[in-house]
Parts: sequence; structure tokens; C-alpha cells
Amino acid sequence: MKQRRGQFSRGQLALLVLGLVAGLSVVYVISHEVFGGFGSLDTQPDYQAVLFVNALVGISVLLFVLELRWDALRVVLTVIVALIIGYGVTAAFNLDAAARFQRGEFRVQLQSQAEVPDVEEMDLEYGKARGGEFNQQNAPEPLTEASYRFAGREGDTVTIIAAVTRQNIEADLEVALLDESGQVLAESQDSTAEQIEAYRPDLKSTKDAVIENFALPADGVYTIRARPEAIPRSTQISEMLSKTRLAYEAFLLGPLDGVLRWSFWVQDALTLILLGLAIAIVFRAEQFSLGAEGQLYFGALVSGVLILAFGDVPKTLLVPIALLSAATAGFLWGLLPGALKAYLGANELVSTLMLNTIATRFYEMVLTFQLQPEDAGYTASDWFSSAGILDPIVENTQVTIAVFVVIAVVIVTWLLIRRTPIGYEIRMIGANIKFANYGGVNSRRTIMLAMAISGAVAGLAGAHLGMGIHRKLILNISVALAFEGVVVALLARNNPLVVPFTGLLYAYLRTGARFMESDANVSFEVVRIIQAIIILLITAEALVTFFRRRRILRRGTVEIGTSTPPPLPGGGAGVPSDTVGSEEGAHV
Amino acid sequence: MALIEAKDIVKVYPNGVLANDRVNLAVEPGEIHALVGENGAGKSTLMKVLYGLETPTSGEIHLRGQRVEIHNPQAAIDLGIGMVHQNFMLVNSFTIAENIVLGRESKRGLFLDRQKAIRDTEALSKQYGLYVEPMARVDTVPVGMRQRVEILKALYRGAEILILDEPTAVLTPRETQDLFAAIRNLVKEGKTVIFITHKLREVMEISDRVTVMRDARRVGTVETSETNEAELAQMMVGREVFMVVDKPPCERGKPVLEAHNLTYINETGRTLLHNASFRVYEGEILGIAGVEGNGQTELVEVLTGLRNASSGSATIDGVSVLGEGPRKVREAHCAHIPEDRLTNGVAMMASINDNLIVDRYYREPFTRFGMIDLATVRENGSAMIQEFGILAPSGELPVGSLSGGNMQKVVLARELSSSPRLLIAAQPTRGVDIGAIEYIHQQLVDKRTDGLAILLVSADLQEVMKLSDRILVMYNGEIVATFANTPDLTEEKLGLYMLGAERQTSEEMEQNQ
Repeated sequence: MKQRRGQFSRGQLALLVLGLVAGLSVVYVISHEVFGGFGSLDTQPDYQAVLFVNALVGISVLLFVLELRWDALRVVLTVIVALIIGYGVTAAFNLDAAARFQRGEFRVQLQSQAEVPDVEEMDLEYGKARGGEFNQQNAPEPLTEASYRFAGREGDTVTIIAAVTRQNIEADLEVALLDESGQVLAESQDSTAEQIEAYRPDLKSTKDAVIENFALPADGVYTIRARPEAIPRSTQISEMLSKTRLAYEAFLLGPLDGVLRWSFWVQDALTLILLGLAIAIVFRAEQFSLGAEGQLYFGALVSGVLILAFGDVPKTLLVPIALLSAATAGFLWGLLPGALKAYLGANELVSTLMLNTIATRFYEMVLTFQLQPEDAGYTASDWFSSAGILDPIVENTQVTIAVFVVIAVVIVTWLLIRRTPIGYEIRMIGANIKFANYGGVNSRRTIMLAMAISGAVAGLAGAHLGMGIHRKLILNISVALAFEGVVVALLARNNPLVVPFTGLLYAYLRTGARFMESDANVSFEVVRIIQAIIILLITAEALVTFFRRRRILRRGTVEIGTSTPPPLPGGGAGVPSDTVGSEEGAHV
Repeated sequence: MALIEAKDIVKVYPNGVLANDRVNLAVEPGEIHALVGENGAGKSTLMKVLYGLETPTSGEIHLRGQRVEIHNPQAAIDLGIGMVHQNFMLVNSFTIAENIVLGRESKRGLFLDRQKAIRDTEALSKQYGLYVEPMARVDTVPVGMRQRVEILKALYRGAEILILDEPTAVLTPRETQDLFAAIRNLVKEGKTVIFITHKLREVMEISDRVTVMRDARRVGTVETSETNEAELAQMMVGREVFMVVDKPPCERGKPVLEAHNLTYINETGRTLLHNASFRVYEGEILGIAGVEGNGQTELVEVLTGLRNASSGSATIDGVSVLGEGPRKVREAHCAHIPEDRLTNGVAMMASINDNLIVDRYYREPFTRFGMIDLATVRENGSAMIQEFGILAPSGELPVGSLSGGNMQKVVLARELSSSPRLLIAAQPTRGVDIGAIEYIHQQLVDKRTDGLAILLVSADLQEVMKLSDRILVMYNGEIVATFANTPDLTEEKLGLYMLGAERQTSEEMEQNQ
């Protein structure tokens, strides 16, 4: 019945193997992709550090599997479902684009050696060109077809070129020559390589159209009709699919395309892990504080001001002091809503959101009026002196020693929640505050401490942004990053040992979305949609668990017990077959 | 011929639990049929099957000899079967009349015909002797009246058979008597009543016949006049139950708890506790009798630090404990079995191990050098699970996964293992089945014999009289009488004080301090 330490059941062993396999394959795949194969590893600068960070990623995968057990599958499923829906959204975005992709500026040239007939009110004449823009975006009545009239004599040899004005315009043009009765005399949809060679630079690609050396049959007015070729629906769809595939490739593999891109992912993950931990602490106590944003701003501000003021203090002193003061600033800024809640009953959600605004504006005020150098072209402080910068561990990136700070914070948070009296208090007021009170826990103190400790961690995230990433204080140093931290914490079920994995995962999605935007021209907002879906799915899942738990509790007390042996003294029943509350059960 | 008959009902829940195993039940027209059994014996499932809330896995239901299929409550209502649930299903913001006609209301144009609703309610109320105030909003009336509303609602829908699911669980003794009178009236009017309970005393008092269930099976059906409580208890539990606890004479030591002039005035200015003074001695159980809502809850909460007294003092072993929160009280070696255990006594989502240390986690050996020693916490959990017979495969499981009885044991284990000097036990057996009651009673008496001072607050007068060495009576926030629990003390005598008809002078009370 009892489980002892060091004695693994078969299920635990399976999990361990699963976690190790998953972790190792992740390390292998990431490293392989980032270095573009292992062949020329030693030519990469600081490749050991990259491998080290990748090993940490692997460890986070292992922890994720071991801590959440089979719940880990649910997290993975949640993300996969969100990605699939996101794929649909991207596809819809691209379908819309495909329908309109025949657009852009074009020119129609009419060339001939013959003399220009003297006819008034013509659109074109020999040796001239006209142009316009097909399917102009946002135009009330987009141009879909252009017609130009010109006068010609019998026997004149004309060459008509319909081409886009720039190489990168993706319109496929066709051109036709019509006589006065509207009869098509000649037409062209594409051009050959020789023609492109011959008519360079007017012809740009084989998609452009050219009618070469056509002899006019009679005197009179002719019409040139140019338009984008009609594209069949099937082409549109295949166009859409290939674009979506490209976009998703950029999304899913972009962050692994070289060490630089990889570093964007890692540095973002460090921020999100810190914020996820901050949120996990308060959520553990069932305090819905969203104050991490404001605490982050204060952390960044205090550490930044300190560094700007004492830039010549040795690094070994300045960095720890700056980090510590950032944590302290966050701590105090978290204590405030905690005290408001504990002593005045002020709803922490409302008070933290308001305090966020105060913190952000205060930061902006100090930055604009105190820190910004006079000659600066935009609102930012001076660069931090090198003593105040977290040293990169990978050359030319912002993957800094913050990695070690984050590792330390993860371990400390875990110990705090699982192994300390204050952590026990936090968990108990989270599980049932009435029970905690009854048992003698000082819930006011616990609420304040939980919010303050969370603030300290968020303050460190601010320091990481200033000292590690931007190396100065900038306006909008965080754009609602703390709310991304909520997703990270929710995905991790507020378990500090799982937060590193979910932070990395979510940062990966965010970074991937950025590369999707730059590589495939798909809006970053797609990742917002994915984020929204993740939150919805997690909330829905929490609801399901809630209802299931209620149902089981009801049955557990009233109906269950017939399958267990007869009641011992004291009666009552056994444990329902499907156990509830995987959250707590998952630990230890 | 039986009016309604359940034949070989089998119900297996999707999670594999067998809740009814070939259960037969035959209810004669015009009788009060009690259905008793411990928690989890399958009573409620059987009734849910009759009322169409659960579909049986196999088995038949016969009504007046005809086989019927009851797939949902509407079908049951159409067949004249009504059910009053333990948790009332009323719209709190509607008036009583509106609640009663809800779903069957007569309309005047687009609107509810309020006058007719009120007339109907009054007529029905008069016919069955179930007094309600038709115009009052449901959330403003007492629990007893809400229950009558539920019964009238069923009658308004034409119920011939009324199923009452543990109707007395929420009632005071007085309200229970009113309910019993109403039930007798219903039977006189030709209705048939199925009465679910696990209180044997009520069975003996009200029913004509009793069906006992145990472990999803029917143990038997007997005429009430031909049985007694002990026999029923034995049928329910499956072994002999000693209804009488083994209680050696009281050897009283020095006072542990001394309360002096405790007064509590709530936020709205009502005095809920007025000048309560008493002492609890080593080795005695001091029982507090009284109709619920006469200040007992407030007294317990003030003493345990959950509320601040408005004035007065209380000391445990000479240490003042008032107004400094529960930790201070617990550090003065006071254990507390709370009234509402599932709300205050446990954290459902937390593990059993964590639940067992809420009063001691910060002390050695649980916390060493600022860190909680998980091994000690685990060992403590395993020891308690064994010592108190908590049915749980592991202490890491959340308490919420345990049955109600086992959750109670978690509370009991924690409180009794804290080596207390004083135990404040509020309604220690409420919602507990018979086997467990016996166990808890014996535990309390044994600890008291070992020298523990116990303050017992219970709405169950029998329990108070059975366990206590001395009895205080509370009425309207005041202590109105103090008795030594001698054989000549009767329920009737206590009842007079509980209802405020009599009170002792302070000299009389002093005699029994």
C-alpha cells in the first residue's frame, strides 16, 4: 500500500524512460538543427554553451514528464490542438491572400518602327507605354483589366509587352490585341526565356506577356487588352497550401535556424520562465494577482537606475546588487496589493491591474524626464556600462548568465513551495483558506508573502530584460509579457518544476511566430490566436476537472463503497476508482 | 398488492461501482416506509432509480401491479411519484407560491396568475397541514418551511408517493417533530411516504415498516412494531453494535478551560453570545445542549480563535487565548473538531498527509532548519492512516478522493493525535453513519477517561446525554442551566430549558460548576 522512496513501480519506471527518451531526442533535434548538423561543430563559437543550454532544455522535458505524469500528454495535446487550429487560421489568412495575389503595378508598351499615325484621342502610340496597378489593395474599385486604344496602319509591325514593374510582383499577366469589332487578332499569356533576353529590362519574367512583331491587317483603331491571367481555384488552393506550409515551417522550425535565432528563443524563454514562476506562486495560493507586469517594470527600473548611477562599481558587486534590488523592488510592489487584500479585502485582480498602470507610467515618467539623455532621438536611457550587463555565455547573443539565475530561481521556488513552512501555508490557503485559518495558519501574512515573493521573481524578470537583453532601459520594455506568464503557469499547472518546460515551449511559439511574420509574411497575431485557444482549452479542462471532482465527491460520500470490503469500525468507503485531484497527487 | 415495487434492481455506475445488487422493495399503499442504511449502502441510488434520475442496469419497477419504465423525473411525476431532495431545489428569489406553481402555473394573458397561485398554495397548505407563507420569498424563510414548500410542490404536481431523502438532516428537533406531524397527516390524506434516513430513532418513531440496506443489498424488511433500534443497527452494520458506550465514572481533575463572561455581538449589532461563563475540567465531558442557532456555533468559534469575542475572557491552563487567532489556541493544547468538517476541517485538494499536519507543520520534527521534512510528514501520515483505520491506499492522495466517513477520520486523527489538554468537539457525529458514531463516541469517552477535558457541542440531545458528565443548556446566546448528568435528568426536563420555558438562577448553576 505504501510507497517508499527509491522503490519504483513499473509506471514510474515507464515514465522515467519516456521522459529520458523525450528529453534526449529533444536535445538531439534542437542541437542538430541549430548547428545545421554536427559536422563542423567546433567552428561554431561557444558551441559548448549552446549544448549546455540545450541539455537544460532536455532536463526541462524530463521534469515535465516526471512531474505531470500522464497529465503531460494533456498539455502536449492542448498545444497540438491549438497549433492545428492555428494552422487553419493561417490557411484562411493565406487563402484570402491567394485570392488577391494577382496584384501590383504593370506597364504596357507598344513598340514599332513605323511612323505614328496622326489620330487624335488615342490612349497609346508607337514607342509609348502606359501602366497602372491591378487589384490595388484597399481600392474601392480595384482595376482588374486595362484597355488601351491606338491607331495603326496596314502593315505596321508592332510588339506589345505587358509586364510587371518590379521583379517581386507576383502577377501573371496576359495581353491581347483586338480590332475595332472586338475580334482578338493576337494574344499572349507568357513569354519565353529568349524573349526575356531580347526585351530586357522591359520583360521581367515568363509570367509577363509579349506579342512579338505582329503585322496589322488594316488601317484603323486597335485595342490592347491587358489583365492578370485568371487563376483556377485549384491553383489558388495549392498556392494557399504551399504558402501555409512555408509559414508553418517558419513557425515551427524558424527558431532553430542557426544560433542567432535560437538565442532569441532562449532569451525570451528566460523571461517567460521567471514570469511563469511568479504567477505560479500566487496562483498556488489562489490569489489571482496579475501584478507581475508592474513588478517587472519596477524591477527593471530600480536595477537600471542603480547601474546608470554606479556604472563604475566592479561587475562582481554591481550585478548581484542590481539583481537583488530588482527583486526587492518587485517584492515591495507585490506586498502592497497583498496588504490591500489581507487587511482591506481589496480584490487582488483589480488592485494589481491598477498598480500595473501606475508602475508602467511611473517607469515612463522617470525614463522620459530623468534618464533619457538630452540628445537622444528616442525615449531610452543611456547604454548600461559593461559592469552592469549580464555576460553572454554564447558570443554575440543575449543568452547570458541569466540562465543560471533562472535555474536558481526555479530550484528556490520549488523548495519554497514544496519544502518550507511558508510554502505549505501557501498551498493550504490555496487549497482551502477556511481550513488553513482553522488550522492556525495566519492567512493574511501568507497572502501578503505569496504576493510579495511572486513580485520578487517578477522583478528579476525585469532586471533580466534590462541588464541581459536590452542593455538599457527602453520604453515598453515589456508589452503585457506578464500575461504570457499566466499562460506559462497555467500550462504548468502552477508547478515550478514544470514551468521551465512550458516557458520554453511558449517562448518557442512566440519566437516562431516572429519568424513566420518575417519569413512568410503571416501576421504575428496568429500566435495570439493560438494563445487564446490554449487558454480556452486549459480553462475548459479545468472546468471538466472541477465538475468531475464534484461528481466524484458526491458519489464518493453517498454512493461508493460497495466494491470495497465491509466497513471497518467507523464505516465508510474506500477510494473511488478514478482518483481526483491529479494536481496534488502528481507531486512528490 | 404493493403500490410500488422495485424488482431485482441492479445499478452499476460507469466507474464500475455496484450501487444496487438485486434489490427488492415493496411499498404498500398508505404506509410510511423507512429505508435505512449507512452512507454508501445504496439507498439514494434506489430512490433515484424510482424517480427516474438513474436508469437501472437491470430490474423492473411495478406500479399498482403494472410494469412501468421511468426514464426521467417528469415520467415519475406523471406517474404520481414525487421526491424531496436533501438539497432543496427552489428558486430562492421567488415567493413560495411562485415556487410551488412553477412549471404548472396558470397564466393570465402573458403573466402569471399570482392570485391563483397564492389561493392554490393556501388551499394545499391547509389540506395537508403544512404551514407556509405563500407571499414570502424563499430565501427569507427558515429551512423547515423550505422543506414544506418542497413537499407541497410535489403534492401540487399530483404526487401520490412521496420520497423524502434524509429530510431531518437539516432540521432542528422541533422542526423534526413538525415534519413528523405533517407526514402523519399526509398518510391520513391517502398518500404513501418513503422515508430515507440513517437515524434509527426516527425510524422507530415514524415508520410502519423498515427496509434495511447494506453494501448495495437489501438486508431485510421488517414491521417497525416488531423490531428495535439495536436489531436495526445490527442489520445495518452487519455486526452487533453497542449502542451503549463503555463509560467509567468521571474522575474530575483541575479546570482546563475557564471561560468568563464571554459575549459576542455580530456586525449587525445582534448579541449572539451573552455572558457565558463555565469551566471544563480534566477528565470530564461537558456537553452543551440547545436547539441549533442559540449561540453554540459562536461560542465554539470564539473559544477556538476563529472569531473575536466582544468581551469576556477565556484561559486554557491559565493561559489567556482570546482574540489571538487559532494558532494561539492550538498552542495552548486545544484541539478542535469543527462543526462543518468538509468546509473547515479538511482541504479536499490537498493530500491526506498535508491535511494531517496543519496544526503542527511548523514545529519539530516536521520542520527542521526552516525546511519541511517530507519523510516525517509521510511517516506521520502512514501512522495515522493505520492507527485510525482510514481507508486510503496512500497518504499522497487528495482527501477529496476519500469517502465522507474517512474524511471525518482524517479530522479526528489529526485532532486527537495533537496530545491535547482540551478538545472542543462540535457536532462530532453529524453526517456520520452508525458504525462510525459508535467509534467516535468510544474515542471521546476513552480520551476523557485518560484525563482529556472535552467540550461537546451537539444538536443531538441523546448524544449529549449519553456522553456528558455535566450538561449546560444554551438558549438565545445565554447559558440558562447547568446539570450534573445524573440518571434522573430527562430529555423533557432539558427540553424545557432548551426552549426557554425555564431557567436556573445563578446560584443553582453555581452548584453544578
